[in-house]
Amino acid sequence: MDRPRSGSAPARIATIARKEIVDTFRDRRTMFVTFLTALGAGPLLMLLVLNLAANQAEKARELQLPVAGREHAPALIAFLERQQVTLTPAPPDFEERIRSGDIDVVLDIDPTFGADVARGKPGIVRLVYDRSRDRARAVIAETDAMLRAYSREWGRGRLLLRGVAPEVGLPLQIDMHDLATPQSSGSLVLFLVAFYGLFAAVMGGVAVALDTTAGERERASLEPLLLTPARPLELATGKWLAVCLLNLLVVVLTLAGFYLTLRFGPVPSIGIPFLFGLTEFLRFVVVLLPLILLVPAILVYVGSRGRSFKEAQSTVSLLLFAISIVPIVQMFLQRKEPGWLAWVPVSSQYALLTRALRGEALPALLLAQSYVMPALLAIGALLLVARLLSRESVLAGK
Amino acid sequence: MIVVDNLAKAFGKRGEVKAVAGVSFTAPDGAITGLLGPNGAGKTTLLRMLATLVVPDSGTATIDGRSVTADRYGVRQRIGVLSDARGLYLRLTGRENIGYYGALHGLAGSVLAERIDALVQTLGIAAIADRPAQGYSQGERMKVAIARALVHDPAVILLDEPTNGLDIMSTRALRDLLRDLAAGGKCLLFSSHVMQEVSALCDRIVILGRGRVAASGTAPELIAQADAPTLEDAFVRLLGTGEGLAA
Repeated sequence: MDRPRSGSAPARIATIARKEIVDTFRDRRTMFVTFLTALGAGPLLMLLVLNLAANQAEKARELQLPVAGREHAPALIAFLERQQVTLTPAPPDFEERIRSGDIDVVLDIDPTFGADVARGKPGIVRLVYDRSRDRARAVIAETDAMLRAYSREWGRGRLLLRGVAPEVGLPLQIDMHDLATPQSSGSLVLFLVAFYGLFAAVMGGVAVALDTTAGERERASLEPLLLTPARPLELATGKWLAVCLLNLLVVVLTLAGFYLTLRFGPVPSIGIPFLFGLTEFLRFVVVLLPLILLVPAILVYVGSRGRSFKEAQSTVSLLLFAISIVPIVQMFLQRKEPGWLAWVPVSSQYALLTRALRGEALPALLLAQSYVMPALLAIGALLLVARLLSRESVLAGK
Repeated sequence: MIVVDNLAKAFGKRGEVKAVAGVSFTAPDGAITGLLGPNGAGKTTLLRMLATLVVPDSGTATIDGRSVTADRYGVRQRIGVLSDARGLYLRLTGRENIGYYGALHGLAGSVLAERIDALVQTLGIAAIADRPAQGYSQGERMKVAIARALVHDPAVILLDEPTNGLDIMSTRALRDLLRDLAAGGKCLLFSSHVMQEVSALCDRIVILGRGRVAASGTAPELIAQADAPTLEDAFVRLLGTGEGLAA
């Protein structure tokens, strides 16, 4: 028999990638869990948030207000009842119950209200609430607005009574112009979708990446593999490609979960504060692509370095923590990002994702910028993997 | 044919552990050459240098005229290696495991399929070849690992302690296979620390001790050289001590 040819580098890379993908898909249970989580977890979380928002809106609409000392201000009470507010007597220990979260807000009318008003002094009403309780915010704002409206109406009546045009007391007329499109409000849900997309791109390949690298060593199949004509860089590239593909699959499934939920799911009728249609879907994939390619390269490197699966796993969890903290920090910064952040992986992707969700176009320059660092880092990581695999010490850990 | 000339390799920060310290021998085609030595004699390091996985500090080695340092990938196409590491991909079938290595060696299509069929037939693993490797016994795993190492029909075959962990039946089957390969003109280098193993199988024997060749030749030559009544006595005398030779 004539000597077998060792084939071409692309053919070997394809062989390696194909084998890793087949091997991964044979692991039915892991695949099932991965894909189910990808499809299900995001939408589940989103439904929770949307329902919360719907509840708040509901609460504000059917305002229930416990009142203490209603007998001191009958006119105010009558006004509130005209506004369809359901008034209930406040329990004597209402401060305690607000702290414990049983009641959101209580209107406390000062016993001297009647006397103060009669003497021309402002009547004192106290709005008692716990601002740290998110779900109370809508009720607080609603009650506050109603009390101010009452105050204005009353003041206007007094001025008219004295023959003064009410406008005299209101030198400033404030017209609110909210430039937010329907998509750019609802920041929590927005953050959630962007974060989850990012999370999928980062987490999607972890199990596979470690199995093809640290797992190879632990299975004692690395040495025979290194004895084939496959060059170290071909091994690195083939494994990386396989992980990228599965990572892409997880991202697409995650986004599909969002898309399907918003399109067909039992989304409450509060009006979704942003769009997530096919355009956004595609934009997400385009924005996340650099991470879909970069993260597997880093994971393959970490997995090849670790002496064991466990060691690689602990390094990876640290890495993932570092990556996932970026968008959270960014959200809390709450100010316009400095220009150089557009070069930083993860950070630039997060910025572009929120842009896409706000319905804004993605500037080609920013997009190109967001690709540069991931591309360089991915190539660097793959070269490092190849160098690791060509070292003699790679055999030491078996 | 394997030609090893004064090959040396040391490990450790200052090279204080001399695993192989100037080894020379020749392993001809059509024969099984045994590499016999106690644990730590340098057998594995020597085989890894021949397999191009470890770069020698000095000396040369050629496989069919190709240098293991200058033409690593040329050598890899010509050698089949069964080392201590025989991990299979447990979720793939035996056939797929063999096929993966065949594809990496540039085989494809019907050529690869026929080659796998031939190996499956020779090794008698037809019954399990299409099942995932997960459920294989030690012997079955071993056979698939051998098929994997031979899939590209290498001219030179390196085996590092191949009978480790095998039962008697599997060991006998392996011996028969190796004899057939040698009869077919292949060059086989077989390392072991078990004397009976080597004497039962090998045409020529190279005795390694502390990284050096203590003696080499056929069994009768070694007995004559040591002036000993049996091969076992010859080993002990040639090594200078009775250390570590498992009987």
